[in-house]
Amino acid sequence: MGYSGVRGGQEAIAAAERLVREARFGGSSPWLELDQITRHLNLAVDRVSGEGGLWAPDLAARAIRQAQGDLLEAAQLLRAHRSTLPRLGYSLPVESAELTVVRRVSPAHRNPPGGQLLGRTDDYTPRILETEDTGDMGDTAPASHPSPSDSAASDAVSRSGARDLAAGLYEQGLLAGRHRGDDPEPYDITRAPARPGTPRSARLSALARAETGSLTHLWYVNAHNPLRGGAEIPLELRRGRLPLKVTHPHTGRPVTVARCPVTEARTVRSTDRPRPGGSRFDLGYGLCFGENEPKAVAMAGLDLLVHRDPHTEHLEQKVLIALDGPEASGFLEHLKLPHYVDFRSTIERVQAVRAAAGEAR
Amino acid sequence: MPDTLTRERRSELLAAATHEEIVPLAERLLADGAVPEPTVVKAPETGMVMLQVREPVEEIRFYLGEVLVTECSVDLDGTPGWCMRSGDDRVAALAGALLDAAAAAELPATAEIDALCAAVAERLARADAAEWAEVTATTVKFEELT
Repeated sequence: MGYSGVRGGQEAIAAAERLVREARFGGSSPWLELDQITRHLNLAVDRVSGEGGLWAPDLAARAIRQAQGDLLEAAQLLRAHRSTLPRLGYSLPVESAELTVVRRVSPAHRNPPGGQLLGRTDDYTPRILETEDTGDMGDTAPASHPSPSDSAASDAVSRSGARDLAAGLYEQGLLAGRHRGDDPEPYDITRAPARPGTPRSARLSALARAETGSLTHLWYVNAHNPLRGGAEIPLELRRGRLPLKVTHPHTGRPVTVARCPVTEARTVRSTDRPRPGGSRFDLGYGLCFGENEPKAVAMAGLDLLVHRDPHTEHLEQKVLIALDGPEASGFLEHLKLPHYVDFRSTIERVQAVRAAAGEAR
Repeated sequence: MPDTLTRERRSELLAAATHEEIVPLAERLLADGAVPEPTVVKAPETGMVMLQVREPVEEIRFYLGEVLVTECSVDLDGTPGWCMRSGDDRVAALAGALLDAAAAAELPATAEIDALCAAVAERLARADAAEWAEVTATTVKFEELT
């Protein structure tokens, strides 16, 4: 089955595209500025950047504007644009401890080392549709701008640094250490397809680029599955910025050329039965571009479940193959194009089979 | 501070500087003759750098995704200059490479370049501290209901 080309219809196609452009640019409302999109629709920008696989907020904002708010289409536009750009190199490996934190909570520990910093969130307040355009910041706006010296007073919480909240589980033997001695080269899913059996680095890359809604759904149906074992609780959820470090071409030493906002999650899940070694938990990791907490949490949950059991219900295969937004929407979009030849040949085949069956009867 | 600025730190600050901070300085230094005309070794090119992360569970590396950057290399009478910065501002990347070379060549203009770097560092530190003060204001210790 495939797509067969058709000819003609140029004028109709041009007229149809003109209607799209009129809807996009026309009307009495002014054209959205990129700045408005990056500042006020920032979660959409972050989502498209992650699914497009390219951190470039201005380009993501352009894509959202061109796609008239269709985030799947925007991610597709960004991904396609990405394929026209040269890859100038690879960053030096950056560690989780180098994250500059703007939010850090632990659903598992009430008082974790390093403290709980809610950051910018409305997780703890009722979310109600505001039907009046007041532009009101509410009573939450700080009365005065804090001065740099104020930050020195906060010694109970820390801006960066690794505090492994899984340490207690390791010490009690409830979590088996998985640190590898070797340092394999990461699998590059932009150069070779990720398929079952590829290393975990491919899985993490595929999850980081996954379509947020599909990822949430796949996590949801599996998180509730009794086959998957005990309860899942995130150890830690953080947002912040990671440095993009490259080797300085003239000194050979590391230099930070950019900082990328990311969301990170670590999650644990218990097992129903003790294992031979005594461990009772597994650990999963999630990291994605921008501010996208559902994605990081779902990613960590699925990383964990694939590690625990990749084969039940083909979970590893689904994680690697079924979550890419541009691939799924691309296939769907193509169905809307003419399939006259395919359809005719399908009918002819069915008729032939029926005729043959009739003759045999 | 200018005395202690390493080349990498200067590159970081030139990369973090805004267009309005570095382009006018580069243009003025060229116009004044304080910096000679550079040879552009690698014209400003917009491309991507793959962000490589070492995750904490197995301590393996993986590719998070790519970051849009613009890179430029110049040569100033034998001294190479380089700039890589996020985004697609080619003019700013060229200005950054020029200022990097001028400072590496220890031209008299270095004082001005390092003063600009100091201003950028100050601005970043202020923004960082203000952000951290806002974040620490949300520090919480939940109480358990018993």
